[in-house]
Amino acid sequence: MGTSPATSDDGQELPVIELVNVWKRFGAGSPSEVVAVSGVDLKIRPGEFITLIGPSGCGKSTLFNMIGGLEPCDDDGSILMRGRVQQDGELLGKVAFMPQKDLLFPWRTVVDNAILALEVEGVPVRQARERARAMLPDFGLAGFGDHYPHQLSGGMRQRVALMRTFLFERELILLDEPFGALDALTRAMMQRWLLDVWAEHRRTVLFITHDIDEAIFLGDRVVVMSARPGTIKCSETIDLPRPRDASIVTSPEFMAIKRRLLGAVEEESLKSFEAARADARRVGA
Amino acid sequence: MSGITRLTGRGCGSVCLPIVMILVAAALWELSPRVFKISPYYFPPLSDVLAEGWRIRTIVLDGIVRTVTETLLGFSAGALFGIACGVLFALVRPLERAVFPLFVVSQTVPVVAFGAIVIIWFGNTIFAKVVIAFYLTFFPVTVNTHAGILACDPQKVALMRSFGAGPAAIFWRLRLPSALPTIAVALRLGISLGLIGAIVGEWFGDTVGLGVMLIQAMYTEAVVRLWLIILCCGVVGAGLYGAVAFVERRLVWWRSDA
Repeated sequence: MGTSPATSDDGQELPVIELVNVWKRFGAGSPSEVVAVSGVDLKIRPGEFITLIGPSGCGKSTLFNMIGGLEPCDDDGSILMRGRVQQDGELLGKVAFMPQKDLLFPWRTVVDNAILALEVEGVPVRQARERARAMLPDFGLAGFGDHYPHQLSGGMRQRVALMRTFLFERELILLDEPFGALDALTRAMMQRWLLDVWAEHRRTVLFITHDIDEAIFLGDRVVVMSARPGTIKCSETIDLPRPRDASIVTSPEFMAIKRRLLGAVEEESLKSFEAARADARRVGA
Repeated sequence: MSGITRLTGRGCGSVCLPIVMILVAAALWELSPRVFKISPYYFPPLSDVLAEGWRIRTIVLDGIVRTVTETLLGFSAGALFGIACGVLFALVRPLERAVFPLFVVSQTVPVVAFGAIVIIWFGNTIFAKVVIAFYLTFFPVTVNTHAGILACDPQKVALMRSFGAGPAAIFWRLRLPSALPTIAVALRLGISLGLIGAIVGEWFGDTVGLGVMLIQAMYTEAVVRLWLIILCCGVVGAGLYGAVAFVERRLVWWRSDA
């Protein structure tokens, strides 16, 4: 038989990450218990680009923090990496994590911000800087290596943060609405650019967004999360051909997928909106 | 090239204007006693003060050197101690709860009340003045270091943790640098307080220093000399503050919110 550690018994490659019945309850047992994430099952296969979409406040970020190892999931579920259960904090340093904000350090240049994770890993600074400099053109930052964050535009800062994430060479990249704060034009450009970089540096990506077009345009699979408590409502494989260009968003295939997903997403958005209104009424009363 | 033009272009705003204002203030000081016929006992004209300064220039210079030395020693010790305490309090919360209240109480005791004790402990040495300058400096530095380190963006801490960084890496690469702008504000405050500490320290007995000259001039009602020493204290204070601000702008040029 001789199954290698990267494959399961049936010969298939093991998922990079697998969530099994993952829950997150805050203030468990108290009357103010909040269930942020409930019973999430999700498998991410190597090289896959998964987009996760859901209404705001649905627990997407909590889910992300758990996959990044920043918060443990509740005891009744587990997170597996390449088939191995990960204990509390074990995932720290194993997943390349990029939060919504660029979180650049203002006292560091572009290159030195990009090598932050490498420094933490103990890569000699000179060598790390060389690797970062070689990547600058790919990230549209050629000639900006010695600039400081305050000298850059929002789109450029976001690309520095992405470069920092890519330089931290881990199988799985977590991106939490990386383009959320950008204007529509810059965002569309960044999406196409991200696909190019992804095609070149081939990694597994889990990408959070609240923009349906973005989710379909980027993903191999779109996963829709429900309103709080966040759980996976449905998932749809996107078989649009790659490489994808901007015109694809107006194609009938794209529109058909969007129509199907829009129904699910809007239902959930409405639910979370109603819940927020109910909360507001309760607080007001 | 562009750097030079920008420097000179900006220079006239940030250098010329203060110089003009200083000259205007000097002219007012010189002219108002004469125009309004104010008795020199209350307000001697600037030229009298400067002439007195030139007459006793060696004593004044010795005084300045001594007081500045005391200030710098006390300030340096206070800054280092304050940063160390602020860091400790921020990282070890039980220590903060136990010791920080003592720090606050220590600052509510007027420094003058401590002066006599300090003299008994350290004698009439330069060390006694350094201790008083230190005593006034360390507290604001402690408070700001503590606050600066605690104000570190938790999302950035989470990012560092996701890279697998331990507490030491997070401290040196993130917490301390992000606290530097806040610490720098306290250092600017600390240098001014350090000078006050040195001058007050000299009142408890010494033979050299601006504080000594101030007390002597007061007892002998040497009004012109009194104004001379006030002027010297102002110049020294502004110089020290300027030096700290200059170093700060060079080293800590980013703002904490950026």
